[in-house]
Amino acid sequence: MEATRALDVRNVSFGYNSWLLLKDISFAVAAGELVAVIGPNGSGKTTLLKIMLGLLSPNSGVVTLHGQPIAALEPKARAQAIAYVSQQPAASFPLTVRELVALGRYPHGLRGSETAADRVAIADALKKTAATELCDRQFNTLSGGERQKVLIARALAQSAKILLLDEPTLHLDLNFQLQILSTLKRLCVDEGIAVVTVLHDINLVSLFADKALLLSGGELRGFGPVAEVINEASIKELLDVEMKQIAGHESQPRYFVPRHPFS
Amino acid sequence: MNRRGLHPWLIAPAILAVLAIGLSIGPVPISFFHLSATDKEILFNLRLPRVLSAFLVGGGLALAGAIFQGLFRNPIADSYLLGVSSGASLGAAAAIVFKLASPLASFAAVSVFAFGGSLGALAMVFYFGHRQGGFSIFRLLLSGLGVGLFLSSLVAIFMLMAGEELKALIFFFLGGFSSSSWDTTWVSLACIPIAALTACYYAPELNVLLLGEETAQSSGVRTGRVQLIFAVLAALLTSISVSVAGLIGFVGLIVPHMIRLSCGADHRTLFPLTFFTGGIFLVLCDAAARIVIEPAELPVGIVTSLVGVPIFLYLIRNESSDLG
Repeated sequence: MEATRALDVRNVSFGYNSWLLLKDISFAVAAGELVAVIGPNGSGKTTLLKIMLGLLSPNSGVVTLHGQPIAALEPKARAQAIAYVSQQPAASFPLTVRELVALGRYPHGLRGSETAADRVAIADALKKTAATELCDRQFNTLSGGERQKVLIARALAQSAKILLLDEPTLHLDLNFQLQILSTLKRLCVDEGIAVVTVLHDINLVSLFADKALLLSGGELRGFGPVAEVINEASIKELLDVEMKQIAGHESQPRYFVPRHPFS
Repeated sequence: MNRRGLHPWLIAPAILAVLAIGLSIGPVPISFFHLSATDKEILFNLRLPRVLSAFLVGGGLALAGAIFQGLFRNPIADSYLLGVSSGASLGAAAAIVFKLASPLASFAAVSVFAFGGSLGALAMVFYFGHRQGGFSIFRLLLSGLGVGLFLSSLVAIFMLMAGEELKALIFFFLGGFSSSSWDTTWVSLACIPIAALTACYYAPELNVLLLGEETAQSSGVRTGRVQLIFAVLAALLTSISVSVAGLIGFVGLIVPHMIRLSCGADHRTLFPLTFFTGGIFLVLCDAAARIVIEPAELPVGIVTSLVGVPIFLYLIRNESSDLG
């Protein structure tokens, strides 16, 4: 089990002065696993992602990537191991899709002209996200869903085996939400990439994720296989929402619908 | 590099042609093929430093604009609009008024004070323009406007206090290239190409920064260091330009914009093309400034504003959705 651990978070706490945003968080993500991070707004999800990326240093605890402490890695070596798709809207300048995806090769030394390995990685990333046909389009002119595909392609071009995403389905229509999550799932199954993504939709978590990480008030409220961790009671406790489970047998995904809040 | 038409190989002949135009304009007609001793004197000690200064300052201002636009991820940032030029003026004015340096005796020393002033102005704009999550262009330009006006007021106070230094100060602020000599040109020749090459070296890092600070950090860019390097480079380019030629607006705005439209936003090509095109543009503006009301001269800043303001207004009108 140790050998397949892509990402290990051990006893991580983080905060400013005496105010702790994250309290003693521990979990591990294996290669090929899709882990959904769920929690109410302000629960520390983005902070947790930044600590996993090495952009913030925890007050205590340690994060290891493939057995190596993240703090010991040089920025470029770190970026070769773990990639990130942030929530921020990117680039208001006229970059083409291909140029933007090529920026993902920076940690591999992209300075002058592209190497053969760069070109293969860029083409591969575009193919895996079904963005090849967008190649020559200006990024600015794409729809929200197309942009998200391209941003994921840029992260894939880093050729990292761990991928973190902060709400990749935000503002997307249902079709694109399903496309994005199907892409992430394929990356896990086919490429053995470990994916950790913040999601708000319990049904998408139920459909696509292997494991769920429940975060509330900076504390870990649950971590494990979706079927074990997500249920009416845990959703109520985590999100303060009454939901009803309407289907689901042993091997089938379960669905949750909110009960009328005012009834 | 040339995907939208502007071919980089056209740049070298264009530079040579424009330098030739710049060298051939002046009150004394000169034939390049029969140079008398006086002609040589005029050509090498008056016109050549003037044309070289205009080229380097134009390139420097355009490049400073491209750097600010990349740094703030916004196409209408520029050293003039951000108040950085005013900071450079204040530094230079302080040096002259307090007799710390004289523009005639020690041009390099005045440049050093201008550099200090522009760094100070940039630090103020950074401080007031930044909020958690980055820079909004609205806040940034308002900060630039405020800082620029404030520093310009201080410059005005310095002029009132100047006494016997007033003449040197007015001479300095009239700007333009009419007083260019080898004394002023060597400072630009020594600093501006080095700053330009350094900017080109770090262009890949600025490309990644276009995606936002977090993404750049997660891609392995040491964002703090890269931002500091570019801020210092842009301040250096601005302060040398102000020291040589006074306040010249809009070169840093329109040249990078046009290059971006024709060649894309990749800083590895944007920077060199912007530098050379900025140089060409200002040599031509300076030539126009000398011709339009002959035998008198227009300040070159008026020419660049006449060309630049309509383009600036056009940008605001047409690209408001992208300005943040």
